[in-house]
Amino acid sequence: MSEAILVGDNLTKTFDKLTVVKEASLTVGEGEFVSLVGKSGCGKTTFLSLLSGLERPTLGSVTIAGKELFCSSEDDLALFRRENVGFIFQSFNLIPTLSAWENVALPLFPVQMTEAERHRRALELLDRMELGHRVKHLPATLSGGEKQRVAIARALINNPKIVFADEPTGNLDTATGEAIMTILNRLHREAGMTLLMVTHDTELAKTADRVVRMQDGEVIS
Amino acid sequence: MNINYVFQELTRRRKRTVMAVIGLSIGIALLVILNALSLAYHEAARAPLKEIGADITVQRPGNVPEDMAGAVFPCSAVTITRDEIAKVGKMPGVKGMGTAVLLWVFDANRAWTVLGIEGDNPVGPSILKNFVSEGRYLAAGKTEALVEAAFARQFGIRTGDSVSVAGRSFPVVGLVDASHAPKIAVANLYLPLPEAQAIAAASKPLQSVSPFAMGDVNLLFIRADQDKITSLASALKELMGPKTAVATPDSFLKLLGSFFAVSDKFTLIASIIAILIAILIAFKTMAGNVAERMREIGVLKAVGWTRRNVTLQLLTESVVQCLVAGIVGLAVAYAAAFALGFMTVSIPIPWEMSPTPHFLPGGGAPVFKTLRLPVHIPVSLALFAVTLSTVIGGLTGALLGSRISKIKPSEVLRHE
Repeated sequence: MSEAILVGDNLTKTFDKLTVVKEASLTVGEGEFVSLVGKSGCGKTTFLSLLSGLERPTLGSVTIAGKELFCSSEDDLALFRRENVGFIFQSFNLIPTLSAWENVALPLFPVQMTEAERHRRALELLDRMELGHRVKHLPATLSGGEKQRVAIARALINNPKIVFADEPTGNLDTATGEAIMTILNRLHREAGMTLLMVTHDTELAKTADRVVRMQDGEVIS
Repeated sequence: MNINYVFQELTRRRKRTVMAVIGLSIGIALLVILNALSLAYHEAARAPLKEIGADITVQRPGNVPEDMAGAVFPCSAVTITRDEIAKVGKMPGVKGMGTAVLLWVFDANRAWTVLGIEGDNPVGPSILKNFVSEGRYLAAGKTEALVEAAFARQFGIRTGDSVSVAGRSFPVVGLVDASHAPKIAVANLYLPLPEAQAIAAASKPLQSVSPFAMGDVNLLFIRADQDKITSLASALKELMGPKTAVATPDSFLKLLGSFFAVSDKFTLIASIIAILIAILIAFKTMAGNVAERMREIGVLKAVGWTRRNVTLQLLTESVVQCLVAGIVGLAVAYAAAFALGFMTVSIPIPWEMSPTPHFLPGGGAPVFKTLRLPVHIPVSLALFAVTLSTVIGGLTGALLGSRISKIKPSEVLRHE
């Protein structure tokens, strides 16, 4: 495995008295595509949240690109995510009042740069997602596949060191889901994107370099 | 904060924005209109005194004349001595002073009201010079008279005639159109003040009721510092006795009897209610907005927005929305003020301030000063309203923004 970009060590997460993730560890190398599979409710999404810094663990630590995440304040974590991490959600989570290009540029809004520069970078990514003709459209006027491609472009706008994808095809039909996976695979192969994807679909998981399985909150293989 | 995002949020969630702006602007418009109306009534109440160049009139009520013969004082205005006039002139807050002598004269063939005036003193009835409908105004140092036009018509008096009053003869040099003249201290015949004083001083029936010397008067007009009118009125009563009738704009305001006139507290309370309504609407709208956008805010934080970024975004949205509401509210208030400006208000002039014997034509009829309600919105009030609206937006946005920005993205994104 290449140099580790993500190291999740012995992570445990307890909500009230319910332990959702139990002493789970995972290391992802730079440029690696890892699938995290398991049945619904096994703790995959929580584990992903812990690894990406969205959620603080009850126990354990996470290091991304050499930075220990949970020694930082919430705002420092947010700034770290802005510069190093990309997210793709199952339900796209696009801002309904913003156009496709504005949604892509969302992580850059708080960054000091000209609107023209934001626009240029967003358009470049939308072109790569073959959405150059939909840049001014609102999410409500886009298909599911188009929405997810906008979400992928948003995840890539800050040139992240790692992208976390939570069931990226979960809300899409089979054909559209395959198209999205093709894009993710292409980004991994051609651009060397490091990707950690949560899915319950074992067939989709097989397209990754490595498949990690979870069961009852524990990493089993 | 991204101004493009602010603009898109406000314009693309149009229904919510419009409802919020309408609600808030109603509160702001109410606030402005209430205060503008209050100011208008206060200004209207100043009109009867303002048109004679005064802020205060002073009269001392006395006894009813025993015998209606010759020259007498009306019971509402008896002697004010020259010493008292001198003392009043030295009171703090007095900027100018005018005097007059008002008499009822019962001659054998005619009864009339006679007013002795200071020809050129801008404080007092000298403004009559603007209402001379025929002939000319009284010339300084001359013994001559003006006659009220309707009275002259009734008795066939013309410019150039001579009239005899209390045994003295005066050439009529002009007619005064009283229908447009001030309603305070009106008379049938206008004489130079010294002539009226001489008539009063020579009248035995008058002297028997209220001793009068040359230099005394029975009407006092005072121009005062606007912020000292109330204290001056109290001081005048103290100097001249508690029964002295001191008329101020507030006296007329009370006569108007409207909510606005009765009490400034009403305007204050209504304004506070309007402000509270505006705050409530702004808070409710913003709270609804934030609740609706919890997931969106979670996404913002997930993609790297800090608490400050989120708070500033929501704060700016709230400020812009409330600023627009303030401007819309102000526009509504201006439109309402324009419409209300067509209303007329009739200010009753107490009989005591313009006493005419009841048995003379029109003697018992109520007198009103009627004018268009002078509704206008001062720049300071307009600025206050817009600033207040913006501040409400700022406080609401800052309060709710800072609270909502604390949410952790995982809390709202967990439930996919």
